[in-house]
Amino acid sequence: MTRMIAMTATALALALLAEPAAAATKIEFFFPVPVEGKLAREMTNIGKRFNAEQSDIEVVAVYTGNYDETKIKAQAAMQAGKPPAVALVSANFVLEFKLNDQIAPLDPFLAAENMAKDAFLADFWPALHANATVDGKLYAIPYQNSTPLLYYNADLFKEAGIDPEKPPQNWAQLIDYGVKLTKKDGSAARWGLMLPSEYDYLGWITSAFTMANGGLYFNPIYGGEVYYDAPSTLGALRFFDDAVHKYRFMPEGVTDQKAVSSSFFAGNAAMVILSTGTLSFVRDNAKFNYKVAFVPGNLRNAAPIGGGSLVTFKGLPEDQRKAAWTFMKWLSSPAQLASWSRFTGYFAPRKSSYELPEMKEFTAQNPDALIALQQLLRYGQPWFATFNTVAVRKAMEDEVQAVLSGKKKPEAAVKDAQRKADEIMLPYVQSTALTIGPGG
Amino acid sequence: MRWHPAQLGSAALLCSVAFVWTTPFLWMLVAAFRPETGGSRDMASLLPPLQPTLENFMLAFESADFAIYYVNTLMVVAGILAVQLVTISLAGYAFARLDFPGKDLLFTLFLLQLMLVPPILIVPNLITVVRLGIYDSLLGVMAPYLASAFGTFLMRQTFKAIPRDYEEAALIDGARWWQVLWHVLLPLARPGLVAFSIVSVCAHWNEFLWPLMVVNAPEKRTLTVGLASFASGAEGGQEWGLLAAGTLLVALPLLAAFLAFQRQFIDSFMFSGVKG
Repeated sequence: MTRMIAMTATALALALLAEPAAAATKIEFFFPVPVEGKLAREMTNIGKRFNAEQSDIEVVAVYTGNYDETKIKAQAAMQAGKPPAVALVSANFVLEFKLNDQIAPLDPFLAAENMAKDAFLADFWPALHANATVDGKLYAIPYQNSTPLLYYNADLFKEAGIDPEKPPQNWAQLIDYGVKLTKKDGSAARWGLMLPSEYDYLGWITSAFTMANGGLYFNPIYGGEVYYDAPSTLGALRFFDDAVHKYRFMPEGVTDQKAVSSSFFAGNAAMVILSTGTLSFVRDNAKFNYKVAFVPGNLRNAAPIGGGSLVTFKGLPEDQRKAAWTFMKWLSSPAQLASWSRFTGYFAPRKSSYELPEMKEFTAQNPDALIALQQLLRYGQPWFATFNTVAVRKAMEDEVQAVLSGKKKPEAAVKDAQRKADEIMLPYVQSTALTIGPGG
Repeated sequence: MRWHPAQLGSAALLCSVAFVWTTPFLWMLVAAFRPETGGSRDMASLLPPLQPTLENFMLAFESADFAIYYVNTLMVVAGILAVQLVTISLAGYAFARLDFPGKDLLFTLFLLQLMLVPPILIVPNLITVVRLGIYDSLLGVMAPYLASAFGTFLMRQTFKAIPRDYEEAALIDGARWWQVLWHVLLPLARPGLVAFSIVSVCAHWNEFLWPLMVVNAPEKRTLTVGLASFASGAEGGQEWGLLAAGTLLVALPLLAAFLAFQRQFIDSFMFSGVKG
């Protein structure tokens, strides 16, 4: 009997010894689903793969709604003392998180590994740098990125007598083609061009047109200035107004991206401007010859970036802080970014991802992905980010929607948008640019 | 029986209005069984598909752990309701029948709470939940709703409408206050309790933002959060069939309950004066 007890005790002791000495550090990773359902599943799998590859860190992948809800949840959790270790956030929220002192700079992690920030960023496409850095410090790692892209129905181009190999190069051609492609007879009505004009998307598209018109739209260095009543912005709004009310090749009112993509698939819209993130969805669903092209410019070609970046929050215990960095590094490795890019249709933010054999094979099979990439490389611009980004963005979006609905003229719209935006940014402007001299 | 032309006219009018109101539901029903079209041509059609498919439902089940989400949602909804029925009955009774200093002020404060928009309470509530140690748990999802200002108000009004004679008869027979409440008032207040229960179940079944804030672990997600994980698209397209199938799965229990207790549902909403 005693022998049996002794044996059991020994077995137990051995079993206990076999257990790892220290438990794995558990960290939370907040991610939104920016595209569609299968991505949520894939993201959860990515977390599982990381957990299987090593035993020091256990990642819990937490689905957190859309980009806006992810922001609300991350900030609420932060205030309640439960900040997430890593979160995938909209790339243009990074500035605001930093101004609110909620995310941690990544420079110390790089310094600990004897890596200079510029050397680390060199592998990322230059257009992505601005939204990842604030005041010269690195706060985010780009993870999934996009730009607006012109998609067009080549069959309808032929039908209208336009060479499908020659997409519109500038606004004059865009108007010309738009008018030619529009059909107004009864049930077969078709629009020459459709743009998504719901919140968030509309601000992005408006900034794309303003930048294509030579403008900056916002101050990419200082979060307290926007150029809403500048001539370049006014020109962009006039283009929208004319497209709807003068040349009539765009529908009146607000159309969301689902309506735009559905109309495109149904052949009711000959050209649409949508995110490059929609590319694989279009590839899977267009039952006609579609082509993609750069968004036409007026004074120049320009395409603001969009998408999401990885950030880590302040106020984490030391072990979680380190684990967060390890996980971020793993997620943003060239191979991980390449595989996520192939899965989603987003760009891989790293140049070296495209050097990988599986990526070369993919781009050879899908040359349209390369067109999207070339646009980013040659004409990529930073994404709108200011103090209180969402409210300042909406100040303009409300006005553009009024113009699209025929309720307001562009001249009045840009003035009102500027006034509202200035009011929203006033507290920040007063505490920064207008605070001069010792003692403020 | 012959129909009067005016009757026919109003019947036609009612049918057309009913059709307009049921269109979203009809569309969901049809789209859920339609093979995936990627939002093209026949996506908006209300005609049933020629070859109905269960593929969307299989995909939905694959995308989300519906069994667990049902259990979680049921636990949250039932848990909230069980505690609420106790708290609102007691609080309603106190405001309707007892006299204590500051009663009116307290009741006004209770009512004022109805004016607050729930999103502004997210951070303070979350801080409380973290301090109580119930963050990332179903109890945390339930906690803010265990007392209900609306329910208290509803029960106070219901109790007030009951003549005092019943209670006095019971008191003469030697009943204590809680016996009066249990044996006399609550049975008479049944319509109020049923009305509140239905409103409460509907509200918490459909709640999205608060469970999203409190819960992190995938196995603690509720139905609405699980549905959203494959329904919200920002830059990609929409898998309409999958979305319709998922929505149908989430709404089904409530729909079934509605069909079974239609009269009671309508009476409740009329009684409580709440729009669904």
